[in-house]
Amino acid sequence: MILAADPLLVDGIDLTVVLIVLLKAGVAFALLLVAVMLVIWFERKLISDMQNRIGPALAGPWGILQTLADGIKLFFKEDLLPTRADRVVFRLAPYLSIIPAFVAFAIVPVGGDFSDGGDGTVSMFGRSTFLQVADPPVGVLFFLALSAVAVYGVMLAGWSSGSKYPLLGSVRASAQMISYEAALGLAIATVFLSSGSLSTHDIVVGQSATTWNVLATGIVPFGIFLIAGTAELNRPPFDLVEAEQELVGGFHTEYSSIRFALFFLSEFMNMITMSAIAVTLFLGGPAGPIVTQRVAWVWPLFWFFLKVMAFLFTFVWLRATLPRFRYDQLMDLGWKVLIPAALGWFLLIATLDVAADLGWPTIPVVIVGVLVLWGGASLLSGAVRKAQAERLEEADRGADETAGSASGLGEA
Amino acid sequence: MLGQYLPIVFLIVLAFLFAALSFFASRLLAPRSPNDKKEAPYECGIIPGREAPERFPVRFFLVAMIFIVFDIEIIFFYPWAIAHGEMGLFGLIAVLVFSLAVFESFVYLIGNGALEWGPIRREAQTGDVVSATRTTSTTVSRAGIRQVGLEGRTGGDS
Amino acid sequence: MSTPAIFAAVTGFDPLTGGEFLVAQNIAFAIMAITMLVSAVRMVTTGNVVHAALYLVIVLAGAAGIFILLGAEFVGVTQVLVYIGAIVVLFLFGIMLTKGSFGADDGVGGERRGIAAMVGALVLAVMAAALLDTFRDAELSRAEPSLTADVADLIFSRYIVPFEAISVLLLAALIGAIVVARGD
Repeated sequence: MILAADPLLVDGIDLTVVLIVLLKAGVAFALLLVAVMLVIWFERKLISDMQNRIGPALAGPWGILQTLADGIKLFFKEDLLPTRADRVVFRLAPYLSIIPAFVAFAIVPVGGDFSDGGDGTVSMFGRSTFLQVADPPVGVLFFLALSAVAVYGVMLAGWSSGSKYPLLGSVRASAQMISYEAALGLAIATVFLSSGSLSTHDIVVGQSATTWNVLATGIVPFGIFLIAGTAELNRPPFDLVEAEQELVGGFHTEYSSIRFALFFLSEFMNMITMSAIAVTLFLGGPAGPIVTQRVAWVWPLFWFFLKVMAFLFTFVWLRATLPRFRYDQLMDLGWKVLIPAALGWFLLIATLDVAADLGWPTIPVVIVGVLVLWGGASLLSGAVRKAQAERLEEADRGADETAGSASGLGEA
Repeated sequence: MLGQYLPIVFLIVLAFLFAALSFFASRLLAPRSPNDKKEAPYECGIIPGREAPERFPVRFFLVAMIFIVFDIEIIFFYPWAIAHGEMGLFGLIAVLVFSLAVFESFVYLIGNGALEWGPIRREAQTGDVVSATRTTSTTVSRAGIRQVGLEGRTGGDS
Repeated sequence: MSTPAIFAAVTGFDPLTGGEFLVAQNIAFAIMAITMLVSAVRMVTTGNVVHAALYLVIVLAGAAGIFILLGAEFVGVTQVLVYIGAIVVLFLFGIMLTKGSFGADDGVGGERRGIAAMVGALVLAVMAAALLDTFRDAELSRAEPSLTADVADLIFSRYIVPFEAISVLLLAALIGAIVVARGD
């Protein structure tokens, strides 16, 4: 079993180590800020292309500096504090949104040679280290914990505004985020089955040794992760949180100036991080063929970048293509499809794994497993049908009573 | 081992400084002239007619409650998923029994309509209301509406 | 040499075994403990329910931090995931459910302070007794952090009965949820 730990920080911490750590954190921080600006531009440009218009074109070449211009403009905008706002919490909420967004990226391995049994260490000022800011042994759980904290940013922003649209938006948002967090967690659990570790670095190493988790876990968890991740990010088609037609701007309606900018930034930062986590968990992280030996260290970075871009493109594509879900459809999808499916798949894969260890024949185990899953699914759909029928009946009875009392009044 | 968290602490401090300095810069740079109208709750420019809802549907509460149950279940899955190779059949059976208990109560919960959100779904009406031969053009002309959307299109079949 | 010695004298830990690292650990512990204490006091004295819930979040986050300091990382993260990520969210939903009010003082506290203090003292006494009883002479290991796999080993050997009992507890919780739903 590989013990997760960045070799940099295992034995004593001296000045060089602290400086390297500072450098890594600083670079990650700067990189995220630049990346988020480019991603916002990328999304605007791509979506305008898909909608047959030009998009940002004036600030810099191809409008690439548009986000920077918007950001600078927001510094000069008046910062409003609504009268009925809870002043302390209103000011606190943007921090709760932006800090987890920055920190979550820390666990993503962005580079390092994982091919041919490489463990992804690079040498930096004479010390060997991983190309990721931190590698805590509970890696992926750390990411989940941060997304649990990020719920607070949304929830408190809406509550503290003292206004109804933000409040409605934030209650919806937090219910949506926690619902899909369960599906996300179950999809990730299947990855742990095949990798045997919680650390992102070990997960990447494990994938380079065998096959990428997207195949090892049988694609279903990958699909569930993508859907749940999109919902967790509150991105279209799950962007009910800021459904303009009914909720104005959602939870950050009352925010203006730089406070709004921070919410906006953290949303896109989360999108980058979610893509990076998906790459790490399912697509082998920075693994890929080293084409030239001359600048070998560039290739892992390049493959990582390419994979993340594919996800970012998909997110934008989804936004351009799909109409928004209705809230009940969203909840039904999350609770009645994704969570049971992820749970069932997790148990199926686990059973297959254990059966293989015990030397049981595969085919009968698969058949029994699928039959059990099918039984569970039909049980669940039966329960859904029963609930719907009962509700219909209740509604009819209610309608009859109202009609009865109305006619009674009429006669009197 | 704890040294692994040092970079994370650094990153938290950096993010905090970034946010705090942004607020500080905006305070220096931004104009400040609040008035009642700007600070009133947003309502598309009109005076707010209705207060925010005093109470929320109980279903939100239920979602949070069911989430706790699943969260705890998932938390127990993780260590087992890490070590399921060593646990063998015994661990698998323990987890299956555990999941069965939770799943069965989840089904009961759904059967009782705890997660029914949407509009009441009636049986889809079929038969004479909507004929099988219905197309866009028949519907539009039956409703007697001028065929706005189809006018001027090249190759339109109107 | 002298700084750790002074620090050890202040905090009462011997620096020989742990070295500098333990000093950093002690400072971190002191910061967390003070934050937790202050937040706990603010939580029971504040008049606003949502603020009280937020102070509770700080206390729980402090507890998670202390778990991580002790090397029990999995427990620490679990604390954040379950308590902060789920249970306090449930509290906040509960507050919004009964009363979607904004900001203003909810007039919490006051009349039942005496009973609350008694319950608090009782809980403190029980927990202190349990802790002292368990760890009276125990020497806690400083070096070895507990691995997630170790947690799994314990759950599926010594604590297998409580583990299965939890599933029954969760079942009871869900049935409670149905009662809430039916009452709506």
